[in-house]
Amino acid sequence: MTKTPLLEIEDLCARVGEKEIIKNFNLTVNEGEVHAIMGPNGAGKSTLSYVLTGKPGYEVTSGKIRFKGKDLLAMAPEERAREGIFLCMQYPVEIPGVPTTTFLKHAVNAVRKHRGEPELDTLNFVKMVREDGKALGIDNEMIKRPVNVGFSGGEKKRLETLQMSILKPDFSILDEADSGLDIDALKVVADGVNALRDGHRSMLVITHYQRLLNYIVPDFVHVFADGHIVRSGDKNLALELEEKGYAEFVKEK
Amino acid sequence: MAGLIQDIKLFGEDIPWFQGLREKGMEAFRRQGVPTAKTEAWKYTKPRDLNADDFVMNDSAFLAEFEGAHEEEHSGCCHHHGENCHCHEEGCRCGEEIDVRVDLPFDGYQLHFLNGRFVPVYPVLPRGVEIMTLMEAVVTQEAKPYLGHLVDLEHYPFAALNTAYMEEGVYIRIDRNVKLDKPVILVNHTEADAENLFYNLRNLIVVESGAKAELIEWYNYTGAEKSRYFANVVNEIFVERGAELRHYKMQDEAFKANHVALNMARVRSDGFYDAFCLQRGANIGRNETKVLLKEEQAVAEVNAAYIMHGWATLDTTTDIEHLAPETFSHQLVRGVVGGDAKGVFQGKIHIAKHAVKTEGTQLHKALLLTDTAEIDVKPELEIFADDVKCSHGAASGELDEEILFYMQSRGIGREEAKQILIDAYLDDVINKVADVSVRAWLKDRAGA
Repeated sequence: MTKTPLLEIEDLCARVGEKEIIKNFNLTVNEGEVHAIMGPNGAGKSTLSYVLTGKPGYEVTSGKIRFKGKDLLAMAPEERAREGIFLCMQYPVEIPGVPTTTFLKHAVNAVRKHRGEPELDTLNFVKMVREDGKALGIDNEMIKRPVNVGFSGGEKKRLETLQMSILKPDFSILDEADSGLDIDALKVVADGVNALRDGHRSMLVITHYQRLLNYIVPDFVHVFADGHIVRSGDKNLALELEEKGYAEFVKEK
Repeated sequence: MAGLIQDIKLFGEDIPWFQGLREKGMEAFRRQGVPTAKTEAWKYTKPRDLNADDFVMNDSAFLAEFEGAHEEEHSGCCHHHGENCHCHEEGCRCGEEIDVRVDLPFDGYQLHFLNGRFVPVYPVLPRGVEIMTLMEAVVTQEAKPYLGHLVDLEHYPFAALNTAYMEEGVYIRIDRNVKLDKPVILVNHTEADAENLFYNLRNLIVVESGAKAELIEWYNYTGAEKSRYFANVVNEIFVERGAELRHYKMQDEAFKANHVALNMARVRSDGFYDAFCLQRGANIGRNETKVLLKEEQAVAEVNAAYIMHGWATLDTTTDIEHLAPETFSHQLVRGVVGGDAKGVFQGKIHIAKHAVKTEGTQLHKALLLTDTAEIDVKPELEIFADDVKCSHGAASGELDEEILFYMQSRGIGREEAKQILIDAYLDDVINKVADVSVRAWLKDRAGA
């Protein structure tokens, strides 16, 4: 069976300010695959996630990114999201004054509109959020609060997962999804993520530690150092890294 | 003759006490003249556009009506809605079925002004509420114990000018202990033919002891998008012992219009004056509120929001005078400024020498949407008493790019994301409006 490529990154170079961070990066993620990117701190893992989502200030100097065959770099951040890219952020942003429900409803309907689906009315929206939220331990009270304001680390990550769950992206990037989570919270988040794995949706799991990969088991593991992938393997590579650390991949300075 | 001073005949010149007030107003205005950029109170809101030679005032509608009633037929259209008009001139709207009620998402006792003139259609009022034109209140002497008592002619040139031309406006009295069930709504509508119109409006509101009322003022327009007119409004407000007035204003004037308003309120013991003004539109829009907290336990809330683009200057000026011990005031003002527009906030809290155990707070925040948007803020505290709690604060900022990106990364378009954030920013102060349906309406207008 031939695989359909979802995301194709070719010879990508990107910088933040004057600093070159991504250097000749290549990766292809096919439909249904879960790839893990592991690497030492400061290797540029988060930069990669921002380049993929189009954050201002992250400048692509050369290379190509195709998503579903389309030129991703030509799209605004919101267009990328509507096409099906989702970034589960390491540090979700607080939005004072904007109730979480309001925010979620705008997001869901923007994505639905793009897909040619009718916008959800309040009743159906509430129903959906309630159902998906239940599994993540998100109650009504929590989504009435302003987005992420006063949320604990665990609550923030659960809300990220809820967004992923209701937006149903084709390609999710999880940036250090386990940071700041205790083991119970981690399981809840992982269950939410795994529920989206249906053989078609793909994921890029960015993590420093192997721990998360016990719960979100990847098909491929890549070691990311000095701006590109230096080694690839299956899930056992993660275990090896856990044991040996990243020392052999980090250049002597 | 045109300009701000015009030789026009007004109704009531034969009533000495009233005409005397007008004359004092004119003298005071002539002494001060139109403020200039050098006038301290007007140094941020440049008043030059308010002093044009081509402004034209309405003829007196009251004189026309008065004369019309004495003649079999009068020539020329009276330009005034009334059943007694028989002029049959083309364009005369008199005698038409008058349906001025506007659809609002809340019920209330609506009163209408069209291009600065009162439309004599009265709502059916419950017992204990009196509404009449200011002229009627002058003729019957009802207005005499109140009119002009609060306005300091020497420091408010436009209020002095307003006093000189007092005629249009209403007198509203809520009797002792009456709790009004619905708001009184003053709809001030400007239509297409208002080019160069300069009008003065003087309202007198008396909320007697223990009474409760809500007053809504709405200034709007149709077809006057490009009209340059000047509305000069003074409200004199008396909140008596234990009374409560909630005063909500929506200033929605055309973008070339000028709107200067002074709200002068006096609050007696245990009285509560709760004001909120939302400003949009207008070339120059100034909403100035002065509150005299005259006796113990008098409370004032003076909140405002403004949202503007283009070249507007919108000005919120407040002056809260704590004249008795244990009086309380709170002010919250939020603005959103885009384009080349300018937001002005001048907020003063004055605490008199014997006004101990008093509390006065003030907070102004503005959101600047462009590099060319500007805000000018002047907080002033004058504290002559010990043992008081007083605070002021001001902050301005821009929309947070991190937040915008976060919202965009969820599929929300950048412009939509901005609007959500702006709405949320203003919600904070609009939520101070106690009347839930009015609050919803104001939010709707703010986002429109």
